[in-house]
Amino acid sequence: MSSNLERRYRRVLRVLPGWYRQQWEQDMVAAFLDSWLTGEAEADEYITRAAGPGWSEVASVVGLAARLYLTSAATARRFAWGQAIRCAALAVALVQAARGLDILVRLVWGRHLFGWLPAPPANIVPGTPNGAVPAMVWYLVAYAWIVAFVLLILRHYRIAQAIAALAIVPDLVVVLQGQFTDRFAAFPIGPWAFWILINLTPVLAMSAFRRTAWPAPGRRWLLALPVGYVLIYVPLLVLQATGNFAWIPDFSGLYCLLVSLACLAHAHRAWSRRTSGSGIWSLTLILLAADAGAYRIASIPDYLHDPHLVAVCLAELVILAAAVALVAADAVRTLAGPPALPPVSAPGRKADGLVQEQTGHVVPAPAPAAGPR
Amino acid sequence: MTGQAFFVLTALADGPRHGYGIVGEVADLSQGRVTLKIGSLYGVLERLAAEGLIEPDREEAHDGRLRRYYRLTRDGRRALGEEAELRAATAHVVRARLGLTGTQAAG
Repeated sequence: MSSNLERRYRRVLRVLPGWYRQQWEQDMVAAFLDSWLTGEAEADEYITRAAGPGWSEVASVVGLAARLYLTSAATARRFAWGQAIRCAALAVALVQAARGLDILVRLVWGRHLFGWLPAPPANIVPGTPNGAVPAMVWYLVAYAWIVAFVLLILRHYRIAQAIAALAIVPDLVVVLQGQFTDRFAAFPIGPWAFWILINLTPVLAMSAFRRTAWPAPGRRWLLALPVGYVLIYVPLLVLQATGNFAWIPDFSGLYCLLVSLACLAHAHRAWSRRTSGSGIWSLTLILLAADAGAYRIASIPDYLHDPHLVAVCLAELVILAAAVALVAADAVRTLAGPPALPPVSAPGRKADGLVQEQTGHVVPAPAPAAGPR
Repeated sequence: MTGQAFFVLTALADGPRHGYGIVGEVADLSQGRVTLKIGSLYGVLERLAAEGLIEPDREEAHDGRLRRYYRLTRDGRRALGEEAELRAATAHVVRARLGLTGTQAAG
């Protein structure tokens, strides 16, 4: 049975939004009673009968209610978007860095820098665009992405962004050069789409990294670079070395397939929502899918001369859309709802043989029914 | 990070605590300068939980009431460490500009 003190405090808590009370009211009441009760039966009997929340306590609850009504939904949405943008920027930087690692490995192997490696297959050294930018600059650009990615993890955000911004300049020079010399006159969208969606977008998204934005990327992302290289680029290298060129997707196709696989891997968590942060990852995958899908669509005109390749592009888009559908509901829930705490125990049954009634009061749990042994 | 959030995270640095336990610890840590009201405390806890810096640890019954304990997440521990470094560096600069650096050593 609740005391007068508890009833008075619960009356004050009615100013709070319903979703908040559902999550926090019991705990607030327990903490409030803790702050009053002494543990001495006589004193506590008097306190629970006569005392009530003071004006400063009421003011703190009213202030909390005002903040929640004004900002909670917007705060949750802003946090989710910010975190998803940071994760998506890291993911694209990771792919770029793994590509840089791939170029490094091909150069080292192709130029016999390590004698103990077997003889490299033909054309193992990556090609570079002909034009105003020397080959050495292209290699440096690829390595710059590795540096930028590592600096992001180490939280040197502005230096990482500056290096990445410099790394996308040569690509822009080539696109502009092609534009002015009519190299891309027939299909000008693809190169621009690559530069805007794969180069410029992650660099701009790095602006979302701030020292005050939490949680910051964990060191586990560092491990993702060698793992990503082994899982993504080593199979491609093997396909190329064995002459299976038909199985090697273009960068856009690779991007779509990687995002699709990530959606599939995340689908279980998105459905169960047992892990905190699953909604953020779903939102991240939606952002990456939008980027990959837009680039795939923009690059289709490059393949109009071959209906089979167009069909492959469309198939990649269909796979991407189906994979995204698996996590879309979780992402929408994350944006629509307030931040939720993960559960700490089974509903209804609590610690130490107590159960929680519908009213929120805690009473001793009934003894288990005696049965025949 | 607000001063209240900083103190709440610090109160959880050496282990999980329940709501009123945090209030008491914050008062001790701040030598009585920060007295959290329950409404203010749960505003801070809600924000820290939404940012993934704290999470529920367990629930325990005490005098017929449930106490929910909170603990720092790994991100929370890292955020607290960085905030502490930032505050220490800022305090160092302020003391230097006020010419107080030597005073403490002398005192």
